[in-house]
Parts: sequence; structure tokens; C-alpha cells
Amino acid sequence: MIRHLFTLIWNRKRANFLLVAEIFFAFVVLFVLGSLLVDSYRKYTAPLGYSYEYVWQVDMDPNGQPISRQDATFERLIQHLKSVPGVRSVASTRSNTPFSFSDSSTEFKAGSKSTGSDIYSAGDDMQDVLSLELAEGRWFNRHDEAAARPPLVISQEARQALFADGPAVGKIVRTMDDKEFQIVGVLASSYRGRGEFQELEPAIFQRSESLVDPKDSANFDRPRLLIRVQPTATAELEQRMTKEIAAVTGGWKTTVTTLPEQRTTRMKFALAPMGGMALVCGFLIFNVALGLFGVLWYNISQRRAEIGLRRAIGATGSRISAQFLGEVMVVTTFGLAFGLLVAAQFPLLGVMGIRLPVYLASMGLATVLIYVLTAICALYPSQLAASVRPAVALREE
Amino acid sequence: MLLSYLKIAWKVLLRRKFFTFISLFGISFTLMILLVVYAFYDHTVGPHTPEKKVDRLLFVNRATVSYKEGNGSNNGTISYSFLERYVRPLRTPEKISISTYFSSTAAYVGNQKLDVDLKYTDGQFWQVLDFDFVEGRPYTLSEVQSGAHVAVLNERTCRAYFGATSGVLGKTIETDRVRYQVIGVVKDVPGMRFNSYADMWVPISTSTQDAKDPGYFGDCMAIIQARTPADLPAVQAEFSRVVDQVPVPDPKKHAKVHVYAGTLLSSTVRWFNNNSKPDDGVAALMGKVALVTLLFMLLPALNLINVNVSRILERSSEIGVRKAFGATSGTLIRQFLVENVFLTLLGGVLGLVLASVVLHIIDSSGFIPYTTLTLNPRIFAGGLLLSLLFGVLSGVYPAYKMSKLQAVQALKGGRN
Repeated sequence: MIRHLFTLIWNRKRANFLLVAEIFFAFVVLFVLGSLLVDSYRKYTAPLGYSYEYVWQVDMDPNGQPISRQDATFERLIQHLKSVPGVRSVASTRSNTPFSFSDSSTEFKAGSKSTGSDIYSAGDDMQDVLSLELAEGRWFNRHDEAAARPPLVISQEARQALFADGPAVGKIVRTMDDKEFQIVGVLASSYRGRGEFQELEPAIFQRSESLVDPKDSANFDRPRLLIRVQPTATAELEQRMTKEIAAVTGGWKTTVTTLPEQRTTRMKFALAPMGGMALVCGFLIFNVALGLFGVLWYNISQRRAEIGLRRAIGATGSRISAQFLGEVMVVTTFGLAFGLLVAAQFPLLGVMGIRLPVYLASMGLATVLIYVLTAICALYPSQLAASVRPAVALREE
Repeated sequence: MLLSYLKIAWKVLLRRKFFTFISLFGISFTLMILLVVYAFYDHTVGPHTPEKKVDRLLFVNRATVSYKEGNGSNNGTISYSFLERYVRPLRTPEKISISTYFSSTAAYVGNQKLDVDLKYTDGQFWQVLDFDFVEGRPYTLSEVQSGAHVAVLNERTCRAYFGATSGVLGKTIETDRVRYQVIGVVKDVPGMRFNSYADMWVPISTSTQDAKDPGYFGDCMAIIQARTPADLPAVQAEFSRVVDQVPVPDPKKHAKVHVYAGTLLSSTVRWFNNNSKPDDGVAALMGKVALVTLLFMLLPALNLINVNVSRILERSSEIGVRKAFGATSGTLIRQFLVENVFLTLLGGVLGLVLASVVLHIIDSSGFIPYTTLTLNPRIFAGGLLLSLLFGVLSGVYPAYKMSKLQAVQALKGGRN
């Protein structure tokens, strides 16, 4: 039966070529979109590594204050803000705050292993501010000031990349210019500063340094803080904070945003293109389905004579509809075979930089979807075929 | 002749409503999506308020200092002093404006915080760009020179801060604890126009920008206006001559300073690609866009071809009669192409209507701040061009197939 169907399709290969091409393209579109969506879903469901609720980000502009005085002012400000009612903890940070569009990375090596990693700068209270969980070792404290080598806290991914399963705490790592650091702690999970749609990549924290580089005063940073506030905090606290910062520092300008706000912006940027693509692909697939339905319907109405003859020599209605459904499935299989050939090139050539299981999952998903789609399109026309009356059809001939 | 072709096309459309629906749905949605994408493009880099003279403007917004022996590079926006020192003295341009990028500031209305994006500009800013003033006027060169605390607001901020958009001239607005007197109100500028966008514009002399700062990186940009569009290459040539002379910050470490003056399109593409190479990447991007557009149109076109082939075979007896009476293949192909282009143009018009609805929804959803995406003559022309392309793309094969029908078989109503 199936071999017979293949022969039928093969004999009409020129007429079926366009259908095969259409199914092929529909599959490729679904496969590419599916890969992107499945990959995004995988990232979205992975742990973020920190909590962002009730965390405010304070960006400050020293407003022309001489660079030599900024560090002392900043230190005084941090101590003062900790005593403001409604504030739980305060930690200094650099521009690559969670959900910001700023990032910074460095290469680290430990023995023979090396990895590129996002590098974050965090004050002693950051563990409380972002609710970071440690699996091994400890977070930074003020005794690190006198440490021989600057301390580091690394994420699970960084631990895997640098030490695999060996011990990590107490080990020494180097940057490419041979500056030495000592690892004092390992986070319980990953840390993804760029938000939910960031790949699970190594992340390394270093203890906040002074704003101005002591060796090169042309190299300085803007003061920035992350603050965990009590859940009851309101805009009033924000205004009060702005005023107090100006008073304590002698005129620094302040911008306060909350991490949930930043996250919303980041989400918008990540979801808008995805939603747009999904809509466009949805339309393409719907369009293909309509076209397929039309063509099948027409083809079947053209083959009334053949159907009449089969019915006349004893074929049942269900066998007729099974034949047409089968034919469509065979055409679909041809299209899918070409499509899978192309899809297999993606992981082989590493086109989109997505992992193999994601590709396989989306191949499976796209295949099933295409089969379901064509089956739905063929269902009504093949039932029409089954209801052809042999006497009427043969008389027409 | 043409009229009778169109009449036939119309009758065929009415004959099988379901097929007509499939065709029109495919065409109109395809074109709608392409038109919405084009509207975004036009909205970002087309000649719109305030960059109306876009064909005469060049934008300078990034500097790169490369290290010796390919040891990487520093990228960033440019300092005020660099622009004053090297860009301001250029002689070929008609006008040059220097301003900061907008930065977020906080104003308070009662206890409520209002985010105000503030941009410091010089007086030339208002001559180079054409803002729509609701009331009042821009600040002048002499007001900038004297450091007057005057401000131009956009309508949104004006409404949020004063509760009205008229009668606010002369009132005072305080943001980041600095007070400015309002002298003008302009229509909102879309956020995508990041070279001119802000909520509030004030003289650059009221900022802490230092014209003597030795650093090359800062938060400023320059807009250069040429006398005529044809002058742009001359301005760019002078600009690159000047930049070639710029000394590197540290001759031991650094190799060269790169700064480019590009059109709005070129500087926007550079901005998003974080690109500091001599090639601005516009050609490569356009190539990719053309490829993606063709691929995107391929699927609906294949669909339309499939439907068209079915429809033509349905008309085989008509074709047989025409062939028997001496119509050549060429005539038949021409007739079918005309019919198909008529169909796609109809779909194109529907697509334009759909696109305007979608753009209106995007505008009113507030998803992107201050967008005013609308259909304009450029988009309209683009839509018609696209539907013509689509019509030819999807009509050639079925027409060829139809012309190949044998008259005798066609008259019998047979299939090939």
C-alpha cells in the first residue's frame, strides 16, 4: 500500500514538486524559529542566581567635584546611607549592574585551564543586597583590604571551567597580564547579570576597588550603588535618599531606578523581537495551511473520475479517504526529508551557536507540527473524496 | 485590451471566492509585514522631524583609539573638548552643532518623581534640526554664550510637570535641583531618534562640560550640516583629513584615533554594531535585509504559485479556445501576468490598509515611547513596488505553464 502511494506520487513528481517545496520551506521556518524559542525557554527557566525585588540602583554624578576627594566622599556616603531608615544594606558596584546593557569581561587562567568570564565588582554587603547564595567559602569582608592577593568569588560555571571537580577555594588564578587573585568563595549557582535570556556563562566577582585608580588618576569610575530596601519603601524614600546624598556629598547628582524596572526594560528588548518573529512565522504557517488546503481540495475535485471508478469496483469510503490522506503524508515526507537534510547542517556548521539537544528537540517539534498541519489540511478534502457517489462521478465522465 | 484583461481578472476573482480569499490573504499580510518593517526603518533614519534635512546632515557620535600591534581598542562617545577642538573649526560645512547625549534626571511634582531626559545643546542645534514648536522659541547663540538658564520642553514633560501644554512660557522647572525658565515647547521626539531625542533641552553652557579637558572620550556628539547634499563627500573628506592629524593620547601604547562622520543611516548602523572600522557596514546590512526579504516572500509566493496553477488548469477550456483562435503563447503569458499583477495590487492596497491599522496599534500601545509611525508617500510607493515584484515573482511560472497547454487537450479539459 505504502509503496504504491510512493509510486503514485513519483509519477506525478512535477505536479507535486511545488507542494514539496512549500512544505520544505515551512519546515525550515518552523525549525529555525523553534530552535530560537526552545533555546530561549531553556535559558529563561535556568536560575538567575540573585533576587532583584526591593533592590534599587543609584547612579551618581560627582558634578565636578575634584577626583582626589571622590573616594573619601563615597565611603562616607555608603556609611551614611546604611543608617537611613528603610534601607537594609548598601553595596558599591560598577556599571554592569543586573539587567543593564553594559557588560565587562576578562580572561582568567588557573594552571593549564583558562576561561573568559564576565567580571563584576561588588562591595562587602552585596551578598545581602542581591541575596547571593554561597556553596563554598565566604563572601568578601573588610579584612580582605589587607589580603596579599585580591579576593574573588566565582560562579558554578566559572568553577567548572577553571577547576572542573577539584577544590577551588584558596586557589590562585591569574589574568592575562599575570595579576594574581585568590578565590575565597563559590556561588551556589550561576550568576546572570544580563538577565533571564543570558547564556549560562562563567561569572566572577571581585571586591570593589577605589573609584580612582591609585596608579593612574586618568582612570576613574562613576560612583554607583545597589541598595536593598525594606519591602515597605516608597517614592518618598527615593526622594529623601536623593536629598541626603546631595547633602552628604556636597552636591552629587543622583538617579534612582529599581531593578524590577530595569528588568522590565530588558525583558521588552528580549521579548519584542521574539514575539514579532513568532507572529510573522505564525502568519506564514497559516498562509501555507490555507494554500495547501485549497490545492488539495482542487486536486481531489479533479480526480472524481478516478474515485468513482475505485468506488464502483468495491473500495469503501474510508479506504478512499485513507488513500488521499496517505498521498498527502507521502508528499509531506518528501518535503520533510529535504528539510531535515538542511536542518542537520545547522548543528554541523554551528550556524546559530545553539546546543545539539535544542536542535534535536526543535527538529522533532517542527516535524510533528508539519505532519499535524498537513493532516488537518487534508482531512476535509479527503472526506469529500470519500463521499463521491460512483454513479454520479462516472456519468460525468 | 488592458481593460478587457482587467474585466476578465475581476470575473475570475468572483468565481471561486475561497481561492480569492487565500490569494488576497497571503498577499496582503505579506505586504503588511514588509510595510511595517519598512515604516520602522523610515521612522528611524528617514527624513522626519526633527531631522528633516537628513540628506544634508552628518553625525559624529563615536571615537575609537586603537592600540599598537592589534592589541584591541577603546571605543566610546566623544568628549566636548575633542569636538570643540577638532570638529568646530571645519570649514566646508555650513553649520556645526555640538550637544551631549540625553541623560536621565529627576524632577519632582509634589511627592511624585518625574523622569526627565535632559540634553545639553548649543544654539546651532536649533538651526541644524527642525523641531515643531507648539509655542515659544528655541534659545539663541547669545543665550548659550551667556549661560542663560532657559529650557525647551517636550509636550509630555510639560503636561506632566505643569498640567498643561500652553501658557507655560516664563514658568520655572526644576530638575536635579537646577532651575530653568521655560521658553519653548516642542512636539515629542521619538526615542528612536536618539541623536535629537530628549524631554528637555537646555544650553550646554549650563552643564559641567569642560572645553579644556584633555580626554577624548565623554558623552557628546556633533551634527554637521552641509550646504547641499552634493557637498557631503567634500565635508567627509575634510573631516577625515582633520582626524588623521589628531595626535594619539599615548604614543607608546596607541596607534591611531578613528572618528567618522556618517549619514543618519550609516551612523545608526555603526552605533548598533559597535563598529569602528572604515566600512560602515551599511552595504552588508542592506544585502542581508534584501536576502531575508526575498526568503520571506518566497513562502507566500510559492503558496500563490500553487494556488495559481490550480486556478489556471480550471480555465483550460478558455485557454484552449483562445489558442484555437490563434492567440500566441506570448499573448497568453502577458494576459496572465496582467491578471496576476492586478490581483497583487489589490492585495497591496489591502496590505496598506492593514499596515496602517497595525502601525496605529503599535503607536497607541505605548510600547515604544513617543512613536508616531504613519504611512507616508515613501511607504506607499514602497508598498506598490513590492506588490508589483510579488505579482511578477508569483505569476511567471503559472503563466509559462498555461502557455504550454496543447490546444486540443485544453479544449478537452484535460490535465498535462
